[in-house]
Amino acid sequence: MDRRALLASMLAIRAFEEALARHPDAGFQLFSSGEEAVAVGVCAALGPHDQLLSSGRSIGPALARGLDPGVVMAELLGRATGPCKGKGGRGHLAQPAAGFFGAHAVVGGNLTIAAGVALAMRMRRTGGIVACIFGDGACGSGALHETLNIAALWKLPLLLVCDDNGWSISTPREAALAARSPADLAAPFGIRAASVDGMDVIAVRDAATALAAHVRGGAGPAFLACDAERFSTHSTATRETRSREAMEAARARCPIRRLAQSMRDEGELREDALATLERDAADAAASALRFAERSPPTDIDEIRRDVD
Amino acid sequence: MSTERVAKVFFAEAIARALGEAMARDPRVVILGQDVGRFGGAYREFAGLHARFGDERVRDMPVAEASMVGVGVGAAAAGLRPLVSITYMDFVMLGLDPLVNYGAKLRYKTGGQLTAPVVVKCTAGAKGQGVAHSQSLESWLAGVAGLKVVAPSTPADAYGLMVAALADGGPVVYVDHKRLFPTAGELADAPAPVPIGRAIVRRPGRDVTIATHSYMCRVADAAADRLAADGISCEIVDLRTLWPLDVATVAASVARTGALVTLEEGQLACGIGSEVAFRVREEVGRMRVVRLGAARAPVSGNPRLEAATLPRPDDVAAAVRRLLDAKADER
Repeated sequence: MDRRALLASMLAIRAFEEALARHPDAGFQLFSSGEEAVAVGVCAALGPHDQLLSSGRSIGPALARGLDPGVVMAELLGRATGPCKGKGGRGHLAQPAAGFFGAHAVVGGNLTIAAGVALAMRMRRTGGIVACIFGDGACGSGALHETLNIAALWKLPLLLVCDDNGWSISTPREAALAARSPADLAAPFGIRAASVDGMDVIAVRDAATALAAHVRGGAGPAFLACDAERFSTHSTATRETRSREAMEAARARCPIRRLAQSMRDEGELREDALATLERDAADAAASALRFAERSPPTDIDEIRRDVD
Repeated sequence: MSTERVAKVFFAEAIARALGEAMARDPRVVILGQDVGRFGGAYREFAGLHARFGDERVRDMPVAEASMVGVGVGAAAAGLRPLVSITYMDFVMLGLDPLVNYGAKLRYKTGGQLTAPVVVKCTAGAKGQGVAHSQSLESWLAGVAGLKVVAPSTPADAYGLMVAALADGGPVVYVDHKRLFPTAGELADAPAPVPIGRAIVRRPGRDVTIATHSYMCRVADAAADRLAADGISCEIVDLRTLWPLDVATVAASVARTGALVTLEEGQLACGIGSEVAFRVREEVGRMRVVRLGAARAPVSGNPRLEAATLPRPDDVAAAVRRLLDAKADER
């Protein structure tokens, strides 16, 4: 994936979330803005036979994986045209046929699941690997340590990606994790690990690609820690606890501005081209919103369907 | 008259046979859990399967139930048909997040895109192992939308419900019992699966219906023998599946007898018996009813305390006598 495609993918997530945030029916959301480079960089390392799982912060991962923004928006707004018929929402968004096995909104809850998906894909010889993006908030959970252990023992084709935005809602990582870095957790299990600047999409892409190659080769799991920033509150229902200065410092690391600047510096992006790309992204988001709004709401009868 | 040949088998053998046949038929069936490999399972219910199917399909796991269940549920979602063995039902608590928050909801939350055809087998019941190794928690799980719960009491049902559970499309919790493993019973040469959601009249009778499951079927039977000596005739309905519950079979029995005793080894509060009693009452209207279950106390490993905590045949017989002495709806 070249730099222009990476930039467009990040812009698409940002514009999508801005459009969603303005919508009166947006409801309870966790936004990926600020953390676009993690999702986009990791997805650049994945192929069509791979599967991606994510935490409940799923909008960035799902769009980066290439899901149609219209059906994603429909799912988030509770419409029947969503891939989960509007029954999963953001917390449980999934479209496995498109390589997005799905989000799971319990912190750490998708980790053991991802190990199981990896086991099944290897036993069924599907040829793909599994990537699982989780927040640093999951690093203290037993599920991560159990997953690291079994994935290493069984050499599962699993790329674990810690999207480290530094906060479990209001609790800073320093107060939630004894290890200095999330990547240190992989070492006792003999799992190959790397730490990158999660606001540098090129660094994420390159590290993810190298670790994915290791996993594809059958050498077992790998662990990528991405130091990132979230630009908004934990969720639309949560109070912000960071100072204005801290928020400004976070926003100053914007992965979109950073990539655009380096592309301009190297003559790869004309001054007016970024505005054009931003307009395209906003148009695509508006079109996704129109599709969702034109879609019928999920039928009430769906509460009885697909239960057992 | 059936000409089918039958053999006497132990409960554990029936489970191993169902699993062996399913694994031979379907390469997607795998076994995950603690001591399921060469050791053959805590009760030898996996005996011979590792030798036959190897490390790849019979996988010992670390004693870490969250990953046992999570890996099983995830593998099921991605196309395998795993059986996850949780040695004692008490430990299923450590794996409830992937089972309840993910597996039970997967078909629903993905709008039918994914399913989790996994069987979580766990061993309930008290046999001298103390407060955290003796519980019967099936009512908890029966209360979760998206889970099915089965609890066989005979080797034939242990076989037939295992076959059905492995073929089912959603998570099935298969509850066996420490005190049932040493029991034997008949199993046909070509046994049929036992459909999930179908109770059975285990002992026909006229005067009272005892609705129960798992090891308590044997306690009910012992009580029924004592009562028969006094001319009281008990009909025992073995629920076999706790969700979806076969209310019709129990209700048909109670419509004949007019009296219902529910009997379980788990707690009475919010128990299987409460659910059975209420739903049967909705079907048949007036009836006499009493619930029996464990005392509201932990189940000690001290044998005197354990026995006093759980329903015994004499307790069941006494409850039946009191019930039959009472007028309808007095209880």
